[in-house]
Amino acid sequence: MLRQIFIVTALNFRSLVGRFWQSMVIVVGLAATIAVMLSMLSLSTGMREAYAKAGDPDRAIVVSKGADQEGQSAITRADAPVIADAPGIAKDKDGKPLADRGLNSGVPVLRKDGSKGFTTMRGLADKGQGVRPELHIVAGRMFQPGKRELIVGLGAQAMFQHMQIGDKVILPAGQWPIVGVFATGDLLEGQLLGDTETMLAALHKTSYNSVLVRLTSPNALDTFKKALTTNPALSVTVERHSDWYKRVGDQSTFVLALLGYVVGAVMAVGALFGCLNTMYAAVSVRGREIATLRALGYGAFPVAVSVILEAILLAVTGALLGAFIAWALNDGKQSMFGAMVFHLSVSRAQFELAVTWATVVALLGGILPSIRAARRPVVEALRAT
Amino acid sequence: MKYVPLVWAAIMRKPTRAVLTLLSVMIAFTLFGLTIGMNATFTKLKAEARDDRLFAFSRFGGTLSVGMERQIESIPGVALATSSNNLFGYIQDPKNRVFVQMNDENTAKIYPEWPITAQQWQMVRDNRRGVLVSRSQADRWHLKVGDTFTVIAPVQKKADGTTNWTLQVVAITPDFFPLMAGYMFGNYDYMDKARLLSDQGKTGVFRIKLSDPSRSAAIAEDIENKFANSSTPLQSLTEKAAYDVTSNTGMDIAAVDREIALAGMFMVLFLTANGIAQAVRERFAEFATLKTIGFSDWGVIGLVFAEAAIPCLLGAGLGVGLAEVLASIIPRFVPPGQGVPVPTMTMTVLAWAVACAALVALASSALPALRLKRMDIATALSGR
Repeated sequence: MLRQIFIVTALNFRSLVGRFWQSMVIVVGLAATIAVMLSMLSLSTGMREAYAKAGDPDRAIVVSKGADQEGQSAITRADAPVIADAPGIAKDKDGKPLADRGLNSGVPVLRKDGSKGFTTMRGLADKGQGVRPELHIVAGRMFQPGKRELIVGLGAQAMFQHMQIGDKVILPAGQWPIVGVFATGDLLEGQLLGDTETMLAALHKTSYNSVLVRLTSPNALDTFKKALTTNPALSVTVERHSDWYKRVGDQSTFVLALLGYVVGAVMAVGALFGCLNTMYAAVSVRGREIATLRALGYGAFPVAVSVILEAILLAVTGALLGAFIAWALNDGKQSMFGAMVFHLSVSRAQFELAVTWATVVALLGGILPSIRAARRPVVEALRAT
Repeated sequence: MKYVPLVWAAIMRKPTRAVLTLLSVMIAFTLFGLTIGMNATFTKLKAEARDDRLFAFSRFGGTLSVGMERQIESIPGVALATSSNNLFGYIQDPKNRVFVQMNDENTAKIYPEWPITAQQWQMVRDNRRGVLVSRSQADRWHLKVGDTFTVIAPVQKKADGTTNWTLQVVAITPDFFPLMAGYMFGNYDYMDKARLLSDQGKTGVFRIKLSDPSRSAAIAEDIENKFANSSTPLQSLTEKAAYDVTSNTGMDIAAVDREIALAGMFMVLFLTANGIAQAVRERFAEFATLKTIGFSDWGVIGLVFAEAAIPCLLGAGLGVGLAEVLASIIPRFVPPGQGVPVPTMTMTVLAWAVACAALVALASSALPALRLKRMDIATALSGR
């Protein structure tokens, strides 16, 4: 059986050259579909990858119970030291726990093209740098605690205007100067940083948005989490920082990704009809050839399989071509969406997705023609032109 | 016209192929309609945005004091500043989301071009609980003039501790662009006086009318600068800037839409070109016969073009029609008040679709037409 399939399929592929332009219909159809879909997904994929890179598995974030985003969370002044005293937190050289009280707010900015956008302004408290060893000042200086000063990330400088040292940012009751530039290698670079307590006062807020801690080791998370969740005085959620960012990333990109898949699906349906069309034509053109094979003794099943395999070969070729086009046009380009600065991505997983979709389209588009090829009465097919 | 049966017979020679081609073309044009229709909406939004209107809202979230209206009006170039607060909630079931814009008595003056009469605006002022409900919203929630309904707004507490806001329909007003998901306009005083004392006198957004539209961008800056050092700094946008989707998201969505539509057209072009080429190849001898009995070169070419054009044009029409249907369903799934634009199938969109269909038909029949023109009738008739 397998040998029969192999022979019939080989024969099929050899005659493919004679059906070049028809076959190209499937290739072009899938190429267009996948090129469009992966190009659209490069935005959401890029964002998710940026989020995935942002969290450190060595860190844990504490937010109030039920908060999905830092902005929804409120940790009171009373709770913050209780959290900092929990087991599992690494200590700095003075023996103090590396736990930092954080604040988040949106801040309007002017994009390089003149349009109005916004980014995140984040508050760091006294252990801000201790908890984030990847934070380096690359120009100017760090803001001083208690002072109304901000530092700006390299990503924000690249995307927005008025982000140089000396520029002022409008905040309630006054403008804050930018005194330094920082780098972290992740999406924090698209943000502005300042002192939590000073920001808290300026924004008329009374509670923090989060507490970020450095764990003694990645395994210490369970001890830390247990201590906080079993404390009846606290009502918090504890999550590994990397997991937190992954989840936030998935939620933020959901609609964008959905849009990409919807457009891809619509085009795939169009490509499917094209595939059906081509395979029906292929089967009818090869009518006599197939009939001869069957008259010689080859089974109907190998014939049917060869038709489907032909469809799959063409579809996958087209999909890979489309994926390559999407990759060449998009991968690595720096982009911005809302407050996030990141790089577009057409990853290996996207290529695999393309191949899967192509196979599904080919299967659906090849089944009916293959059945017709297998079922057609041999005598009638031999007589056809 | 008399050749239509001939062309039809040619198309229906392989009915499966004809149907599949039509379906494929239709899907591509549905995508075309949705994407180019979206662009048409963007263009219309920008075109209808007036430069004598501005929005101003809190720079760092939270509500603003209504008293700022006077200060804004003192800025040269500003004619009127009005306030409105939004009531986001649901009717009975949390998934029945509604959004009522509570306007103050001057808001009507800012929007003179809306199809709402002065009497209708006045009805809301006279009946504090009154709301103007757009036709689409009235149909959706089965509301008639005089009906009373309750909106449960979890984030907007009343002084009595509940979140149930009772409203009465005073008039049903027409839907209009750009509020494509419909609207409900209520009375700001009703909302303000029923809230906790600490929440009163607050607004979410200022709608501002300018007396000097030529300086709208500069006036927006003046407004921001005036409150820059206050405890509630503002962010101010002209209506044109607010409706410019590209500048709001930082992405050129219109270009992306065109690229998607183009990819779809490319797919259709390949499919149709292949189909026509194959059809001509298979029926070469028949065309030779037609030429023998007296059809001119152009006559035969015309038949081939018609054979390509009919599925393309039909597919274009059906596709854009389907896009229209899909576009009308979108508002039902989108939360109201978010300002999500909906694709509109304007005459321009249809014209572009027809033009693309014609171009595809032309391009598809070009090479086969050339072959037919150069045909050696004798050879062709012999079937070689």
